[in-house]
Amino acid sequence: MDAMQELGNIGAAHAATTLSQMLSSSVEMSVPKIKVVDISQLSNHMGEESAALVVFELQGEIPHGGYIIFYISRKSAVHLTNTMLGLTDPDRPLNEMDESALIEVGNIMASAFLDATAELLGFVMLPSPPSLTIDMAHAAMQTLIAQMQEEIDEVMLFSTELVCAEHKIDSDIIMMPETSTLAMFVERLENLMKSG
Amino acid sequence: MTEPTAPNKLPVMIGIGEHHVGSVPMMAIGLGSCIGLTIYDKEKHVGAMVHIMLPDSSGRTDRPGKYADTAVPFLLAKLYDAGCHKASLVAKMAGGACMFEYFGNNLNIGERNAERVRAVLAENHIRLAAEEVGGKAGRTVAFYPNEGGKVTVRSADGAAHEI
Repeated sequence: MDAMQELGNIGAAHAATTLSQMLSSSVEMSVPKIKVVDISQLSNHMGEESAALVVFELQGEIPHGGYIIFYISRKSAVHLTNTMLGLTDPDRPLNEMDESALIEVGNIMASAFLDATAELLGFVMLPSPPSLTIDMAHAAMQTLIAQMQEEIDEVMLFSTELVCAEHKIDSDIIMMPETSTLAMFVERLENLMKSG
Repeated sequence: MTEPTAPNKLPVMIGIGEHHVGSVPMMAIGLGSCIGLTIYDKEKHVGAMVHIMLPDSSGRTDRPGKYADTAVPFLLAKLYDAGCHKASLVAKMAGGACMFEYFGNNLNIGERNAERVRAVLAENHIRLAAEEVGGKAGRTVAFYPNEGGKVTVRSADGAAHEI
């Protein structure tokens, strides 16, 4: 479990660095959490709140490895795109330009996360083309869980909170691997520890 | 029945694969491709709700509420146990959205869930009185057996309406 936490830590740290560069502002990162969630209890972790989720399937050496998700509350999403686009109104609706900006941020962060974890694990993980939804967080996560390749009653979420206090942005980067991908992570990490 | 029925009581939350039978308000929040199915007995004013995630159980029996093919007979058995008669039961469902265009096209689980629920209800001769399925948006569904079996659907912007 420590090694898994380290995996999430390295990925999230790289994602935090890229976010910080994009915003030209400091970004604080929480301790990465690994949560095992029974699907019936998902609503204790993700509710009805409106959020933007930029979602990528994990591809590369593993064709369907699970998902990596850039999650940001609707309010924070406006703060983020305002910072990027040089706007100030915090209560405006999100438009197509915001959607492009969110996808771009998600893309850069997911790539940074996967580059870093792939380097540690020694196999290539690439993000699929992105898909964005701005809707109820629970509904989006539930949809992803339903379409996982391997049917599950529990999901493992690698979740790290990324906060930019200056611009009031609170976001999360979440990895949700398939069961077989998780098993590969464990195997590689065990080998690394033995040889290290 | 010892179930409290105070009108201001918080609804029973129905998580993925879970169900409830009774006369108290029930709610399934944030349905994407999942389906919130309600079956209401208009004579006895009790009902059941289930939160279905996938169309087909492929023989699995440990979580009957999770799959369309097992959830319907499972709920009906619970309602018959509670003294309900088939002739007075009506069903409503909501959910079954396709939220991710890129990933959704090849699978469209939401649509398959809805189709399967319709088919299994028909096999069991239960009337589907209303449905609100498909589209791209998430839904929260609430069910009020104590208010004539009212079913409301709410979207992310907070707007709610009865189906």
